[in-house]
Amino acid sequence: MRPFSYIVAGSVQEAVAALHEHGRDARVLAGGTDLLVEWRHPGARVPRVVVDISRIESLRDISLEGRDVLLGPLTTHAELIRSGVIRSEAAFLASAASTIGSPQIRNRGTLGGNIMNGAACADTVPPLIALGARVTLSSVDGERDCHLSGFYNKPYTTVANPNELLTQVRFPALPRGTKSAFTKLGRRNALSISRLSVAAVVAVDETGVITDARIVPGAAQTVWKRAMEAEKILIGNPPSVALFAEAGRVVSGVLIRETGRRWSTEYKEPVIAALVRRTLEKCFAVND
Amino acid sequence: MNPTITLSFTLNGRPQRVDVSPNRTLLDLLREEIGLTGTKRGCDVGECGACTVLLDGRAVNSCLVLAPQVAGREVVTVEGLAPLGTLAPLQEAFIHHGAVQCGFCTPGMLMSAKDLLDHSARPPEREIREAIAGNLCRCTGYQQIVEAIEDAARRTHEAR
Repeated sequence: MRPFSYIVAGSVQEAVAALHEHGRDARVLAGGTDLLVEWRHPGARVPRVVVDISRIESLRDISLEGRDVLLGPLTTHAELIRSGVIRSEAAFLASAASTIGSPQIRNRGTLGGNIMNGAACADTVPPLIALGARVTLSSVDGERDCHLSGFYNKPYTTVANPNELLTQVRFPALPRGTKSAFTKLGRRNALSISRLSVAAVVAVDETGVITDARIVPGAAQTVWKRAMEAEKILIGNPPSVALFAEAGRVVSGVLIRETGRRWSTEYKEPVIAALVRRTLEKCFAVND
Repeated sequence: MNPTITLSFTLNGRPQRVDVSPNRTLLDLLREEIGLTGTKRGCDVGECGACTVLLDGRAVNSCLVLAPQVAGREVVTVEGLAPLGTLAPLQEAFIHHGAVQCGFCTPGMLMSAKDLLDHSARPPEREIREAIAGNLCRCTGYQQIVEAIEDAARRTHEAR
């Protein structure tokens, strides 16, 4: 690893001051599970200044404010999985976190790192988009809020400026009785990178009709977005395997329309459809 | 740029002070500066688990922790599992069950197992397999390792 100046930020104020001073020369370090791999690549762009935010305790909280869930960006994947708040208010976010890396990676890697690194395979992002999450960026000039759905220009590229620090992730808790699920397709069980994933939310009213549906495919497009066309098919209908299969075909059709047909399409077309169907089925599974 | 910094932390229960460049990893620090070579360098990118240590009681890949990040924190390596010349129940169980063949993955396996047993007294087999999912072993096929961890959990539980 090439040498760099190392700054330990004891507070958000110290961190944003360091980012203000060093701008594009600086990089924020939290858990390091992506950056330390990246920086050791031959020819890697190692920053001149590393701003270590891992000691800022105020960025580590998981809390409820009314019906809003507030997450500190330093929350580790393991903490998300163990959190009673996440398990009860957004269970599929815990499921998604549990598929990341290995126990060692989940003990170290953070939610904020997953968001800011912005890999197309970032597993916490599809559930967060489905939840309508917003992120707070802080700098010496103050704070601003962004919808996570508009946060990425392309993989690994966010709208955050070099002087801004992610300081909070916030989303409305799922209404009581709403079901959620996450499915990931990787090449192995552990230490697996998402080839495709699907996050889904479904709510059914007392008459047995779907009133809310959100489907977000992961690792499938240049930026994450809800599969609105498929969501519309679900709403107003009672849940059924046939309906879920139809929604899967629609998602698959939309993705292929957007990304174009290529060598992998023959594989992805049925696989995306099946992944969507299974994720919707999982929402209604007894043990998930 | 990159001047050496003096780092204080707890290593295997004892206070440790060491000078280190900030661009070294915890693994570099343990093996090359402090000379504790029980922790192994395998892939050096967080995939194999051979370098697993406990940081504040939780298993982490020491190759993915920047050395200065452990300032003020508590690190336990395989050398800290039992006093010199003795073995921890986990280590005894690994030997008893033939869970050690070439031995390269063993320190990391032990530390992942230690994290599990410290937080779950009698974990079911599924949890044991999940706990060592980040540790590659190319010799044993894992079965003996799982049995060793089960056995250590049982013995520790009965001894209480």
